[in-house]
Amino acid sequence: MVTGLSDREITADIIESCRQGDRDAFRALYEAYKDKVYSIALYFFHGDEAAASDTTQQVFLKLLHCMAQFRGDSGFSTWLYRLVVNACMDEARRAKPRELTTNTAKVDALTEPDSQEHDFARQQTARSVRAALSALPAKFRLPILLRYFEDLSYEEMAAAMNCSMGTVASRLNRGHKMLARKLETLR
Amino acid sequence: MKDPLMPDELEDLPLAKAPDSIWTSIEAALDAGLKPKRVFRPSVWAGGLAAAAALGIGVFAWYALRAPKAAWEVVRVGGTPSVGSRLIEHGKIEVGEWLQTDASSRARITVGDIGTVEVAPNTRVRMVASRRSEQRLRLARGEISASVSAPPRLFFVDTPASTAVDLGCAYTMKADGDGNGLLRVTLGWVALEWEGRESLVPAGASCRTRQKIGPGTPYFDDASQGFQAALSSFDIGGGGRDALDTVLAEARVRDTLTLWHLLSRVELAERQRVYNRIVELVPLPKGVSADKALRLDSATLKLWREELAWKW
Repeated sequence: MVTGLSDREITADIIESCRQGDRDAFRALYEAYKDKVYSIALYFFHGDEAAASDTTQQVFLKLLHCMAQFRGDSGFSTWLYRLVVNACMDEARRAKPRELTTNTAKVDALTEPDSQEHDFARQQTARSVRAALSALPAKFRLPILLRYFEDLSYEEMAAAMNCSMGTVASRLNRGHKMLARKLETLR
Repeated sequence: MKDPLMPDELEDLPLAKAPDSIWTSIEAALDAGLKPKRVFRPSVWAGGLAAAAALGIGVFAWYALRAPKAAWEVVRVGGTPSVGSRLIEHGKIEVGEWLQTDASSRARITVGDIGTVEVAPNTRVRMVASRRSEQRLRLARGEISASVSAPPRLFFVDTPASTAVDLGCAYTMKADGDGNGLLRVTLGWVALEWEGRESLVPAGASCRTRQKIGPGTPYFDDASQGFQAALSSFDIGGGGRDALDTVLAEARVRDTLTLWHLLSRVELAERQRVYNRIVELVPLPKGVSADKALRLDSATLKLWREELAWKW
């Protein structure tokens, strides 16, 4: 039985157990982060579930493989999301020749598990946001996803994206403005 | 804390649930390859005994192994690879030793716990260093394929005309005895460095190395044949302005990888043309001034590269 952990509960003990090959510990780590990692990949890849699943799988396998190199110099989340950013960019680069395009039908179809219970207006809003977010260029989309899903600080995002805090602030700012403009037209 | 500019609607965006099939795939991959072992969890009463025994073993091991000679594992994949004068089936290579394959031999090196190096036929490699902060191999001639999962700048491959610095990646490196060679990156990034010259090579791109010149200019493997031939001609010399004309004319958006590197490698008179072509393909991003870029201001070029890299 796997117990779900919040990321705040991911302790040095769990990381150490993962290093020693404890699969239960790794599963706990996976359970704590899988939805966030998957969501970031899903929105990054315009709702392409196959690409998001592949990327999530790669991230966690790489995470396990690299665990011995995690020295705790930076936060675990920062390290993990750096893997996510790299995996997304690598996959996008590989897919470049065939050009990833926004699949609005797929993006729109991303419904919450209990969406039947939610009111229509809220579903519509969520749909609009997903479509608008998915249409942003990658460099503005990624910081918003990291900020929204993981609430990373500017410093953590800079480390995850391998750029300066100024660049993060600028991209986030412009991304939010672009998103607001897109949403304005969708309202 | 919520960003002031963050649209309120973002708060209604739900997390997507990762499909169960992902974990199934991960488990299958683990079973097939990584094989993590379960951690032994002793009962409380056995804990004391185990701790005492572990202490004894630890002290013995410390005395016995306190100055271990760094070594990587080597496995024969085919033929008769040798380490020094020893033929290898399954053994070790230590710092300073050479691994050699003949025309029909292949071997695999496990580099600590960070990755593997496949050694192709007719190859000669030497283990140079194995430290926590540095794993280093020398490729004297032949071909290797490295697959590394480690933080950037931990794994290095020296050749006679370059050093390949792993930035988290998989790649193939070929070199002849003089240093002429080819790097082809399949995953992540590799930096090729030599005497102050650096080429950054992302997945899907390649870069040649030349004796006494070092790393050439990186290019994407799907660039046109004309582009690649002209670049090679320009890099090695002799191609001159005609070759540059072809490179500029045939460049696509993602070939700004090549053009960005060329900016600091062309004569001053040609730099403006390279700059103009990059800006034609990808508008100059905010924060990058033409003046500073043309003066090769390092911070400006770095910022520009970061922005262009989204197109690579």
